[in-house]
Amino acid sequence: MVKAVKGVVVECDPSVKQIILGLNERGQFIIEDLDDTHVFVDASCIEQLRVDIDEILNENTYNVEEPK
Amino acid sequence: MSKFQTSIHEYLETLPLQTFNRLYQKPATCLAIFRLLPPLGKQIIMSSLYVDTPIPVDDMKLWFKGKTGLAKHKEAMKRLQALHIFSEERGNYTMNTIFVEQFRNALTGGGNSQSFGLATSTPDKHHVDVAFLDDYATKQWEAILHFMVGTTEGRPPCKGVLNLLGRSGLMTGGPDTIPQSDNMDARDYASQMARHDFGVPKITRKGFQFLLQDINTQVWAFLLQYLNMAESLNMDLVEVLTFFFQLGSLELGNDYSSETLTPTQTHLLEDLKAYGIVYQRKRGSRRFYPTRLATTLTSGTPVMLGSHTNAAKHSAAASRKTEEEEEDDHGFIIMETNYRMYAYTVVDQIRLWEIEKNRLRPTATWLYSQFNRQQDFDGTLEYASELGVVLWSNPKKRQMCIKTEGHQAVGNYIRKMILRNKEQAQQHRQQHVASVGT
Repeated sequence: MVKAVKGVVVECDPSVKQIILGLNERGQFIIEDLDDTHVFVDASCIEQLRVDIDEILNENTYNVEEPK
Repeated sequence: MSKFQTSIHEYLETLPLQTFNRLYQKPATCLAIFRLLPPLGKQIIMSSLYVDTPIPVDDMKLWFKGKTGLAKHKEAMKRLQALHIFSEERGNYTMNTIFVEQFRNALTGGGNSQSFGLATSTPDKHHVDVAFLDDYATKQWEAILHFMVGTTEGRPPCKGVLNLLGRSGLMTGGPDTIPQSDNMDARDYASQMARHDFGVPKITRKGFQFLLQDINTQVWAFLLQYLNMAESLNMDLVEVLTFFFQLGSLELGNDYSSETLTPTQTHLLEDLKAYGIVYQRKRGSRRFYPTRLATTLTSGTPVMLGSHTNAAKHSAAASRKTEEEEEDDHGFIIMETNYRMYAYTVVDQIRLWEIEKNRLRPTATWLYSQFNRQQDFDGTLEYASELGVVLWSNPKKRQMCIKTEGHQAVGNYIRKMILRNKEQAQQHRQQHVASVGT
């Protein structure tokens, strides 16, 4: 029987996709892992997901220290 | 970058039919809008232009092959309908009669030729050449960009430019000095700015994004902002747009009469001089020259202003060129002590970072799965593709993501399909029972 589920399909780079999979272990929001660059998630998680990903990627970015 | 409305298409598509009908009265405008279209749109117009009866939708579909062809057809027609070039009624495509008439005029040289600008009949005593115009356009435009990043060499741009920079949100006079309000009249804003004497203008986030665009996009962004302002200044939108499009059809290196321009357009000419889009020797002069910034407005090709002038400079001064000068030609990076880097000549790399920043592309959707049979999945996918509502699909897993607007139609299709399958199965069983019975 065909099933239809409402949600959000997120398109992203494979690297970002891996981060999303990592985040999913903390709180389960992925409904279906589609492929390397697509993941189907619960609509309510998008904003938090953006914040989390920015945070993680910014940690890996070189920052010039503020002069004291 | 989505906040940054730069496309003339997006702007045009917001205009009502009446405005289009007035715009299309000028052959130059018809040609300009045609030139701005993607190749398929042009192809459809050219194929239909001399067909005097409405074209049945089904007939036009025959021009396209396969699913991908039809999808492209649909997209192209959507665009043409938004521009009111075509309309669809009772299964027929009809072309806008004003557009047809004036576009034919544009192609055959009939009708009111003044819409392509009136070339002056007498030679200019102070004639200027293409190299001069390129140099002039570059200087004027670069002066604006330099002003934005705070490296003005000469005097700051004129008030009209400052006003536009402030009003478009590309620069501010500091967060508190000028209140930013969307519903403020342009006149109010100008007087506000005059009162504050613009303070020390600072580049905004939007301004940075502006610097990263190519020059053609920048010019259009400026002109679009001008259009928004024109509306609030009660300037006639159609006259302004007509003039922009006319500029796009003028020939570089020729001079044109400014005497046939309407008062609105004369006013416009003054402002466009400040951006380097046109050149006029002195205010009130009877002739003006379009620069390369103007003549490439509707050509869809990159302006290559810098490289052209560079080439000209190279040929003129090849012998006395020092290495230093050569460095100069290739652009520069300006460093400030707060470690921010401003650059507008290494655009490609920076654009990549910008794209990288936009890491997630979410779309609301319905995920369909658990199709019993492959043919059920394939049929549904084909149906949904025709509607143009498929976001993602995987035939092996029998899964597809459908845009929310397509959910109802696809859902109905599946319900009917299941019902049909059941009926067939039942018939099959009855036949089976019957055959066993005998």
